[in-house]
Amino acid sequence: MASTIYEEYLELGAYEGKERQRLLPQWIEAATRLGLTEKDMEFAVREWIPDMWDLKYLGIRKMIGAITREAIDHAHLMEHKKRGVKLVYGIIPAILTPYQAIKKAGGDKIFVSFPDMCLMNFLQPLFHKGAPLFELAEQAGLTYGCRHCALNKLRIGLRLKDVVPAPDIQWSFGLVCDEATKVDEFINCMYDDQWFAVITRLPHDTCLGEVDDEIPERVEYLAGAFKDAYEEVQRVTGIQVKEEHLAAASDDFQRYLGKTDVLTRLVGEADPQMLRGSELNNFCHPFSMPFNTGIEYMEDALDTMIEEVRREVANGTGDYPKGAPKIAAFFIPYAVPWVDKVFMDNGVATSFSLGMIPSEKQLIPPSHDDVYLNVAEQWLRMVFGMGCHTEVKTWIEKVNRVKVDGLLLGFFDYDRWIGQIHKLGAKEVEKATGVPTFYIEADFFDDRDYSQEALRTRIESISQVIKMRKAAREQGAVGQRGAA
Amino acid sequence: MEDVMKEFAQLATDRPAELRRLKQQGKKVVAYIGHFVPEELLYAAGVEPYLICRGGEPEPPEAVLDDMLRFLNPLARSIAGFHLMGLDPVMPLADLIVASQPECHIQRIAELLEHKGLPVFKVGVPPNWDKAYAGEYYFRELEQLKDRLQELTGNAIADEKLREYIGYSNDINRALRKIDELRKRDSPPLGGYDFIHLNHHSFFTEPEVAVEKLHQVFAALEHAPARFPKNAPRILLAGHAVAVGDYLVVKNLEDSGALIATEMLDEGIRWYRWDTAVEGDPLRNLWRVRYLDKVPVNIFQPAWRDRFEHMRTLIGDYRIDGVVWYQLAYDEIYDMECTVIAKWLRDLKVPLLKLETSYEYSREATGPLNTKIESFVESLRRGR
Repeated sequence: MASTIYEEYLELGAYEGKERQRLLPQWIEAATRLGLTEKDMEFAVREWIPDMWDLKYLGIRKMIGAITREAIDHAHLMEHKKRGVKLVYGIIPAILTPYQAIKKAGGDKIFVSFPDMCLMNFLQPLFHKGAPLFELAEQAGLTYGCRHCALNKLRIGLRLKDVVPAPDIQWSFGLVCDEATKVDEFINCMYDDQWFAVITRLPHDTCLGEVDDEIPERVEYLAGAFKDAYEEVQRVTGIQVKEEHLAAASDDFQRYLGKTDVLTRLVGEADPQMLRGSELNNFCHPFSMPFNTGIEYMEDALDTMIEEVRREVANGTGDYPKGAPKIAAFFIPYAVPWVDKVFMDNGVATSFSLGMIPSEKQLIPPSHDDVYLNVAEQWLRMVFGMGCHTEVKTWIEKVNRVKVDGLLLGFFDYDRWIGQIHKLGAKEVEKATGVPTFYIEADFFDDRDYSQEALRTRIESISQVIKMRKAAREQGAVGQRGAA
Repeated sequence: MEDVMKEFAQLATDRPAELRRLKQQGKKVVAYIGHFVPEELLYAAGVEPYLICRGGEPEPPEAVLDDMLRFLNPLARSIAGFHLMGLDPVMPLADLIVASQPECHIQRIAELLEHKGLPVFKVGVPPNWDKAYAGEYYFRELEQLKDRLQELTGNAIADEKLREYIGYSNDINRALRKIDELRKRDSPPLGGYDFIHLNHHSFFTEPEVAVEKLHQVFAALEHAPARFPKNAPRILLAGHAVAVGDYLVVKNLEDSGALIATEMLDEGIRWYRWDTAVEGDPLRNLWRVRYLDKVPVNIFQPAWRDRFEHMRTLIGDYRIDGVVWYQLAYDEIYDMECTVIAKWLRDLKVPLLKLETSYEYSREATGPLNTKIESFVESLRRGR
């Protein structure tokens, strides 16, 4: 029986017995360093998590435990650094295999992390408490009014709070937005001239009609850039990555990918559906950040979840009413989980995230013998790596495949690359698929700009349209409407 | 002086009509976006270039909001917005729109132009300029642009022709530097408002004519009476761009009694401090001056320490009393750089005023803006 609220939290994260007792002091220390008070803990354990997460599933609880374990590890980065552990950071989105491979090569001598992503995935979905760190960055000069990315603000806030020390090297994939890599320069100029980064960049300059991964020079250029950066990471850390490490990292990735695909399909196709899209996305963190503690904890949670979902399917049980319409999204905002909770309250199930569904192109095996060429090709087949016209085509392909009743775009208004095509894309997808597509201008990570009350009416209205349309389709009378 | 300025301005104003006429005569018109597109290459190809860099109006940035978000800077949005509103006289008749692609704002706007059916050619500019392979990427882009222009016109671009236009550009730069030098006087005969206009006019005038006009301007200014008093606070205007048509802040600064003694802007003003070598491979020279020789633009990485060193030199050379950071709304990288610059300027004890524009110059917006400007100028005056 848990004796303190901190222990109760660990219990909620499926920690038991001696392991819980062992972890408890580190957990209290980590929570304090991350600015979490006893009151925050009470709020998380008594209100927020039970409200936002389906705790009847052990898989969900284990996943909370795995994310927490990683956060505890991150809160002790200073100690790792003092012990001489080499710190290698990165940012999203990135191809993770090279990061995981260097962890496999370096073991305990190296800490591989995307600190902002890790702690965002912990602080916002579990405590709804990223704001103090965002505000710290805003006070330090990332002005609120300019609409900077909350993830970048968190990175700065964590450095300012001395939770995250300077890495030995940060390898930033600056392949999507401009801001993320420039944050490295910002930190270096403002606070910490030991903050050393190597950046990989590629202009978004393919023209209409060109397909990024089909331009050999583009693939070769990016492969060369990856190789250059990766060699620098290995030189700085003194850790040599061998073929076997890359192969093992790739195996981990493929195995985990296969399992999440199973879970996503089971949930997406279940009627009645269990779990919300935000919960599903949380199982996908090993695609967006390396786990320094290893992915086995997340994988155990995932295995448990799959078994529990299978049981629900077999029993014909779930959390939504049978026949509830399903909506996909570009990415269901898991860091602001109340969004899809409001959809749930309105009888609409959030299911697939387009970003988590591989396109047909992504399913084609890599076409090169060289690992860097394959990583480059893999990147350029992802939606982040292509121009808008190709990207919208892949959205259309995915929407046609998953057969949902609606599509939700938006939530990336702060991102000068990803967010900018959602309005245009909404119209194109709806025109091509007939699936009603909605755009909401909001933030994926930071909900200070919009409240539940402000979005509730919009979501109610979207839900109503989707339900009416589904009913009409079932009666054989489908009308057309413009993207909202 | 005023007559020469008016003539020069008229030539620039007449450029779209001239392009229409030339187009009817069979000439190709190429609009271009950003200074990483060398206008020398366009002229040498025998096409008629036209820089797209208009801003300062509130409606065009709004015109793209059906398809894009407001969190792109207003200059990028204006580039497409003027066209969508039917207000851009050149884009519809352009045979090609060449857009340099150093950052996301303009990259997404270029896609919107493509989406609207315009013929866009993109010149990628990797910001990690400290990597040799990144520089070669940009060079290959210039080679591809050269090929595309040759394909468009059916004519080969001769190196000699390219050198000729590099020569003109260098002449324009030299003339601008001579005029700029006049601003170092205690009581100069021109300020930033005129100097920025001269830059803008030079973009829309045949290079030979631009050189001639700039020399005439210099001749008129060299012995002209002072336009600014000795005690006028001397301002360095820094930021992303003062676009063609976006003169309100510049004018109000000088109307408030300050002198814009120099600028550090990435777009909308010529990179006139750096000449292009004439000897050797001209395309390589055009590449080098933009990518390696010039002080890096804000988006390059690393850049801000080099840029601040440059700013510090300007502060010394032009005896600057204060810096005005002129920021386009939602320009996130400039916003970050401003914070960094502010910190370093504090160390130098040089005052900084940050002004932000969304090109919304209503009475409600300009009132507080002018108050800020006047207070800053007054504080500089008292601090002298």
